[in-house]
Amino acid sequence: MQLERRPGESLRASAISRSFDGVQALHGVDLEVRRGEVVGLIGPNGAGKSTLVNVLSGFDHPDSGTVTLGDQEITRWTPHRRGRHGLARTFQHTRGFRSLSVRENVEVSALGVGAGPRVAAARATDLLQRLGLSRYADAPASALAHGDERRLGVARALAMEPRFVLLDEPAAGLPEAEVPAFAELVRSVRDDHGAGVLLIDHNMALIMEISDRIHVLDRGRTLAQGAPAEIRGNLDVAAAYLGETAVAEE
Amino acid sequence: MKRFADLQVLAGPAVLVVVAALLGTTVSVSTQGYFTDALVKVAIVVALYVFVGNSGVLSFGHISFVAVGAWTAGVLSVPASEKPAIMPNLAHFLRDRTTGNLSSLALAALVGGVCALIVALPLMRLSGLAAGIATFAVLEITHNLLRYEEKIGPGLNTFSSVPETTGLRQAALGALFVVVVAFAYSRSRFGRLLRATREDDAAARAVGASVYRQRLIAFTISGALCGLAGGLYVHLLPLNTETVYLDLTFITLAMLVVGGATSLWGAVVGALAVSAIDSGLAVAENGTSFLGWHIDLPAGTRVIVVGALMATVLILRPSGLTGGREVKLWPR
Repeated sequence: MQLERRPGESLRASAISRSFDGVQALHGVDLEVRRGEVVGLIGPNGAGKSTLVNVLSGFDHPDSGTVTLGDQEITRWTPHRRGRHGLARTFQHTRGFRSLSVRENVEVSALGVGAGPRVAAARATDLLQRLGLSRYADAPASALAHGDERRLGVARALAMEPRFVLLDEPAAGLPEAEVPAFAELVRSVRDDHGAGVLLIDHNMALIMEISDRIHVLDRGRTLAQGAPAEIRGNLDVAAAYLGETAVAEE
Repeated sequence: MKRFADLQVLAGPAVLVVVAALLGTTVSVSTQGYFTDALVKVAIVVALYVFVGNSGVLSFGHISFVAVGAWTAGVLSVPASEKPAIMPNLAHFLRDRTTGNLSSLALAALVGGVCALIVALPLMRLSGLAAGIATFAVLEITHNLLRYEEKIGPGLNTFSSVPETTGLRQAALGALFVVVVAFAYSRSRFGRLLRATREDDAAARAVGASVYRQRLIAFTISGALCGLAGGLYVHLLPLNTETVYLDLTFITLAMLVVGGATSLWGAVVGALAVSAIDSGLAVAENGTSFLGWHIDLPAGTRVIVVGALMATVLILRPSGLTGGREVKLWPR
């Protein structure tokens, strides 16, 4: 299935609130990711980042607020329906099809959104090569090292030829030396695929380097949003998340 | 190259079925019955594998579809002239019709598939223990319907006068057909997506797979194959409702678990291996001589031994004798 390319369309969360057992995880959060941009989503632990990703991807439903994809409201859509409409995600804790081969993992993702077997095989070959996983193609996914598992998660998401990709801590566990190559991969998702990327990661250098905009959450509320340079200089953000020392070092 | 590797997955189970059938031609007619029975069991276990193996969801209800298939093929192939005596309360539209061997098998598969689809529509929304218990409820409902509803079969009586067309050749061809369909399904988009949901249903949903839809498709195909196997079974033995109930549910699940539930190879190996043990013990329960020794095991030994074997495999090798992996006859 060739997904429709509509430059300028966006994935939008409007006034999202979500609580668990009386604890307010999200409180009226607005967030927008447009096609062709990388938005970094940061915040201290417990800020509500993963809850927001779950709401955007359909694994959780908000108590109030709406999610729209392009011009369609998708707040109550199931995750697989969102997937078939071009919304892909990776998981903070690596999830995959562990007894399937690495190649099958990627092929299944393409098949899931309607690609034919030949197209799926071609996408898998291309993505495994681009992500440096070709030599493991026939190995079971359970045999991969942690960093390779992360890359496989990204390959699964890209095999869907998504319009939007939600990357939940994709660089966690990657050796430092591999982070620049990973940053290049995220850029290519934006530039070559024209997809909008929402990137959550604790690697601040990565976030600051590749994000076009950054959205900061703190205790379920939007604390700040703007270009990386603005966020870097924002004292509220520094106080809540980056730490006073980080600002001092600047 | 990939197609060659795929064909190897089919070749192993198919060769094993053919070898079992050929071995069956070398023994006495009375012993041949055990081989024929084993090949019908292969068909049932492989049909079960299509759903249980690919989805990872246990089903205690699949023998319902074997029973429904057996009833369909049995009722339709008893000669019309004998039906009033054997099944006096049979519904009119069944009393006047008789079909041939092949069409009775095709209808058994069709009815098995339709029943499975009807059952699956509500049940496939369940997971885990709830799904397993619900399928057990299906077995109970079906058993009691067939047992007491004489408009659709012999009720409490045993099916008689069904043409005994399932010999070694028909059983082998039936088993091969089921193996080929199971292979084709497992290589299809649907089979691959269902296996993805088995591995991690959240990750599968994230890539566009509907867990409900994939399970529904597999359950229906699996039910149709069980129906076909039921048709083969009723053309082999005079069945009654007890033949297609708890014992058969237990033995076929044991076969799948012992062989390795997640592979086609495991399903076939398990069915043949446990059939061999079960048949040997059945002979010993009736009293036999072996290497000059007279063996006469107490009744019920076979179920105890198969149960112990199943438990032992679950403890020592949870993924079954084959490790749940497919076989490669010509490793590179």
